[in-house]
Amino acid sequence: MKFGGTSVATLPRWQNILELVASRRAEGARVLVVVSALTGITDALKQLCTHGDKGKRIEAAKAIAQRHYDLLDHMQLAVPDTLGARLSELATLAENGSAVLGELAWAAAIQAHGELLSSALGAAFLSHSGLPTQWLDARDCLAAIALPNQNERTRLLSSMVDSRPDPVLAARLATLGEVFITQGFIARESQGRTVLLGRGGSDTSASYFGALLKAQRVEIWTDVAGMFTANPRQVPGARLLQRLDYEEAQEIASTGAKVLHPRCLSPLREPRVPLLIKDTNRPELDGTVIGPEVRAHAPSVKAISARKGITLVSMESVGMWQQVGFLADVFAHFKQHGLSVDLIGSAETNVTVSLDPTENLLDSDAIAALASDLAKVCRVKVIAPCAAITLVGRGMRSLLHTLSGVLAEFGQLRVHMISQSSNNLNLTFVVDEEVVDTLLPHLHDLLISAGALRTDDSELFGPSWQTLYGSGEAPSAATAWWRESQRQRLLELAAEATPRYVYHLPTVRQQARELNTLAAVDRLHYAVKANTHPAILRALVAEGFAFECVSPGELRAVSAIVPEATPLLFTPNFAPREDYVFALGTRAAVTLDSLYPIEHWGELFRGREIVLRVDLGRGLGHHEKVRTGGSGSKFGLPLDQLAIFLQLAETHGVIVRGLHAHLGSGVLDAGHWGEVYAQLASLAERIGSVTFLNIGGGLGVPSHPGEARLDIAELDRVLREVKAAYPQYQLWMEPGRYLVADAGVLLARVTQQKGKSAFRYLGIDTGMNSLIRPALYDAWHEIVNLSRLDEPATALYQVVGPICESGDVLGTDRRLPEAQEGDVMLIAQAGAYGKVMSSHYNLRDEADEIVIE
Amino acid sequence: MSKMIQPRLTQLFRFVRCSYADGVAELAYAFDDGEELVERIRFPHAPAIPAGHAAAFDAALKLLHLIAGVSYYKAGVPPKIEVASGPLDDATAELLDQLYLHGLAEFAYRNGLDLRGRITFPRGAAAQPPAPAAGLPKRTLVPIGGGKDSLVAVEAIKSIGGEATAVWVGNSALIAACAERTGLPTLNIQRELAPGLFELNRLGAWNGHIPVTAVNSAILAVAAILYGYDSIAFANERSASAATLEYEGQQVNHQWSKGYAFEQLLGNWLHTHVASDLDYCSLLRPYSELAITRAFAKLMPYFDAFSSCNRNFKLLGPKPADRWCGQCPKCHFVFLALAPFLPKPRLLSIFGRNLLDDENQASGFDALLEYQDHKPFECVGEGAEARAAMYALSQRPEWQEDALIERFRSEILPQLDASQLALEPWLEPSAEHHVPTRLQPALATIG
Repeated sequence: MKFGGTSVATLPRWQNILELVASRRAEGARVLVVVSALTGITDALKQLCTHGDKGKRIEAAKAIAQRHYDLLDHMQLAVPDTLGARLSELATLAENGSAVLGELAWAAAIQAHGELLSSALGAAFLSHSGLPTQWLDARDCLAAIALPNQNERTRLLSSMVDSRPDPVLAARLATLGEVFITQGFIARESQGRTVLLGRGGSDTSASYFGALLKAQRVEIWTDVAGMFTANPRQVPGARLLQRLDYEEAQEIASTGAKVLHPRCLSPLREPRVPLLIKDTNRPELDGTVIGPEVRAHAPSVKAISARKGITLVSMESVGMWQQVGFLADVFAHFKQHGLSVDLIGSAETNVTVSLDPTENLLDSDAIAALASDLAKVCRVKVIAPCAAITLVGRGMRSLLHTLSGVLAEFGQLRVHMISQSSNNLNLTFVVDEEVVDTLLPHLHDLLISAGALRTDDSELFGPSWQTLYGSGEAPSAATAWWRESQRQRLLELAAEATPRYVYHLPTVRQQARELNTLAAVDRLHYAVKANTHPAILRALVAEGFAFECVSPGELRAVSAIVPEATPLLFTPNFAPREDYVFALGTRAAVTLDSLYPIEHWGELFRGREIVLRVDLGRGLGHHEKVRTGGSGSKFGLPLDQLAIFLQLAETHGVIVRGLHAHLGSGVLDAGHWGEVYAQLASLAERIGSVTFLNIGGGLGVPSHPGEARLDIAELDRVLREVKAAYPQYQLWMEPGRYLVADAGVLLARVTQQKGKSAFRYLGIDTGMNSLIRPALYDAWHEIVNLSRLDEPATALYQVVGPICESGDVLGTDRRLPEAQEGDVMLIAQAGAYGKVMSSHYNLRDEADEIVIE
Repeated sequence: MSKMIQPRLTQLFRFVRCSYADGVAELAYAFDDGEELVERIRFPHAPAIPAGHAAAFDAALKLLHLIAGVSYYKAGVPPKIEVASGPLDDATAELLDQLYLHGLAEFAYRNGLDLRGRITFPRGAAAQPPAPAAGLPKRTLVPIGGGKDSLVAVEAIKSIGGEATAVWVGNSALIAACAERTGLPTLNIQRELAPGLFELNRLGAWNGHIPVTAVNSAILAVAAILYGYDSIAFANERSASAATLEYEGQQVNHQWSKGYAFEQLLGNWLHTHVASDLDYCSLLRPYSELAITRAFAKLMPYFDAFSSCNRNFKLLGPKPADRWCGQCPKCHFVFLALAPFLPKPRLLSIFGRNLLDDENQASGFDALLEYQDHKPFECVGEGAEARAAMYALSQRPEWQEDALIERFRSEILPQLDASQLALEPWLEPSAEHHVPTRLQPALATIG
């Protein structure tokens, strides 16, 4: 059992260790505890080594001793002899300086004291607490081996240890007792000098001991329950990995996970000793077990990781083609400039390599000098900053066919290099670093929805990080209205007729009320294009909403329903002149989003107040077709035309009263609106006449089970923060889908089934004619068999409609109960962009609409 | 506002009064017979005004009132200016006439106004005898802005063991973070614009760039007397004096109040009107932007904290994209000017992307080079400096193949006189500066 620096720094943490060790004893195991130095002590010892002045060294040694005295004091223990001896040894080393031992050996001897002291202290505490514990000097057990390419520094400060099983040691320990405590990080070399194991040393010590003793298992106790499918700081939905083989774990550790140093796995591989990662504070959690490969699971991607700060060197030359020794010459330059190559990709005339962000790379002339040398033999391009995104999982090649959606995502990016190693464990993409933070959570979702990361296998995948460690209450998915309270009603409605849309107004109201808690927002508009059903419009009038329309048709429809006093907003795109003429005749605030109207029809707007929709130059959203910012989108006035627009506005006496931007749909990151808001406010400051900012909608509604909802409280906090800086502007928003998506379902009935090799198709009586989102946006809608909601989901279906189009698929690979003709199928989250986007295609009848009050 | 005003039709701008009590200066202005517009400036933990410094303090406060008025005056630009406390002496009136005319030149250009002959501060009061020395403590106020320049100035003063305080006006998490990084004591002065100004903007006031450095300078002059500092050391570089463009015969300089002319005007005025031992200078005046970026390239501890970008919305945070928008002239210039002096991977890690390998940024860099465009209205170096930096990169193998460097080599360079593109001359300091003797050793550490 290995415990790190923070775990051994305080009395309560030692009590915790006592309990854990005692519980293992109770299971009948003999326990060897490996400890790090108290937090901060290793740094203090390193610092001590840098002092040239003897007095300062002695002072530093005293301060280090005091830390241990203080902790002993807390434990109400006298200074044990073992600890006293170590302390006086340290004092002597500090006083003598490096003259006798030599600089490096002296530094190693000094730094070894962090662990020597903490273990001596621990032995005293555990024994005194009724758990007789033998203090063991790790240097008597771990023998460093000399390797051919080592220099004195690596030999002494980052050593390797012979980890072949040592039955003699095991036998010796068996005679000495049941519980031992020893030091991480240190060993002894052949001349008898103390050496250090370097980075990750304490974990590695534990592995060495595990291998030497052929232990039942090695337990690494740390501050997190194990390895996750992604870095939880980037992907809060990352799932705990409960089971990994050594190679996978090593790959994950090497490509990003910080919880375990990759080198500590190799000693365990041969003796097949499993390693268990456990959370000291949450011992009840299962943790991650790393052991020999087991063949009882479907192949799955296990993790996705990103390493940032990577520099690529791309070398282009026709000279290299079939020329013996070309690459050898090229790589000689890398060696000469001290740059170590990681990934390599090559074509007939190009070789591209990646370099990790070392100090040498970042802060010396190395790259400039390298480029100068390489430029003599080829064209060089230095590409940075890049990030390597790695998918890890055994049998990666057999997963390739599931990755098409993931690969399509890379298709929209600059991918500089793709690498797949022959060990079949990983697939790496090198992309621009700036895309990574948003890309990673998205890819993680895509991997799950593509069935490449099989989170449905509860053997392999544990709870999400959010659930285990997320702040506050883990958002437990509220049961959808259709699942329980309204299920019977829906079955009756479906018995009358299908296909039909059903809208649940209490859900609309609930969503509206939630948005009304956004204190910073002065006016909320419902973007009616999502669903123009009169009952929904009326419900939202009652909740105090204003309305946003994009066409005269919508303006008419809304005007017919809402009271005179309800504010309207008209936000069209590429609308003809007469649309503006019409809108100007209503009470709606009119939004312009290009130069053309004010340039060519300027007099139409004379004396009027307008809203200007700008394009802030980038887009967001769950699919390319819902991104509405950036040059690739037709919406908004590009910022470089703003000055001309304002000039034309001035010329025609048009007052720009509001600024508007809307970057896309399905955004789940609250920070996004804060950015749009602040960016609009800083633009507005230069315009003067502006009194309100419309930051659009696009509030995301998660569709996959387990996907985190948009945090409205966080959104409120972000908006309030910006509002505090720009109190002079009113804040408007225009949510659409957020209000109505969950409130609507599409009911259909099973028609026929078909099997085609491994695929099973489940036909229902409507498809893309009623709901085009899956075909148009690859949108994922939950689909359930409402007639058999409680039956086990054993079949894997492709749910398809009756339209003569290959794209008429509502859901792929859906785990559902075996269906029968006539079963009622429910397609969830169909309240937004469902009926309003439906068509008569194939001249199939349109779904009708039913409202549940 | 009880009475609706048409800001653009006002006839008279009035400096109504200014006062100071308990760390708060109140500056009142009005248009015609409209309501008072009251700006407040809060000096934190203000001590009592030191005995014997009352006259110096009053003089500095009065100047602050007159200079800060530019934010309000510009809302209406009325033809007449009135100072309630009576006419000014000639030196004061001259300082203000110059400041309002040149400091608002860009504002005038953008709004199609001509302010020449329109700005006349009332003058004619007898000149007072020159102010005596106030015996101010030998320490320096260094205004910092979160960008590289002020950090170079801070480090120069630290390197000669000078005592200094990092000061800034207004709220900025970015500046606070940078100030923290300097390890100096900090002073954060708050400025609250009169709420009525927002109202005027709604009513159609003129709007645009004001010489904000002049306002901050005047605030710091008050602070220097109040807290006891003998010097205010800005970090305005040589090219700040260069005009952005010429418009109907008038030089328009976006950063006139950061230029040498204003530095001399204000420095001399403070000597004669406030205290003969209060020095106002720019520590970076002899240096080009390139010389300063070279000095900054050695200050690694600031790399993940600073930002010169004034477009970005968050301006704080661990990610480069939080601090650099990557789209504005500031981002373009700082990227280009640092590039010759930093290893390429380090530079790219600061910005989080390679702006010079992005074809979409071509027009932004063209503007810096003054190629097919005029200099942008931002505080950026002279076109020739940008060309020198670009030329230097075009000669480096690790940069040559980047999209915009490649474009420079093939398209722009053939049109330039290569003998005018050397980097080295830009690294030489000029003799022109206003730095007091006590701080001159710091000046030498930058070059």
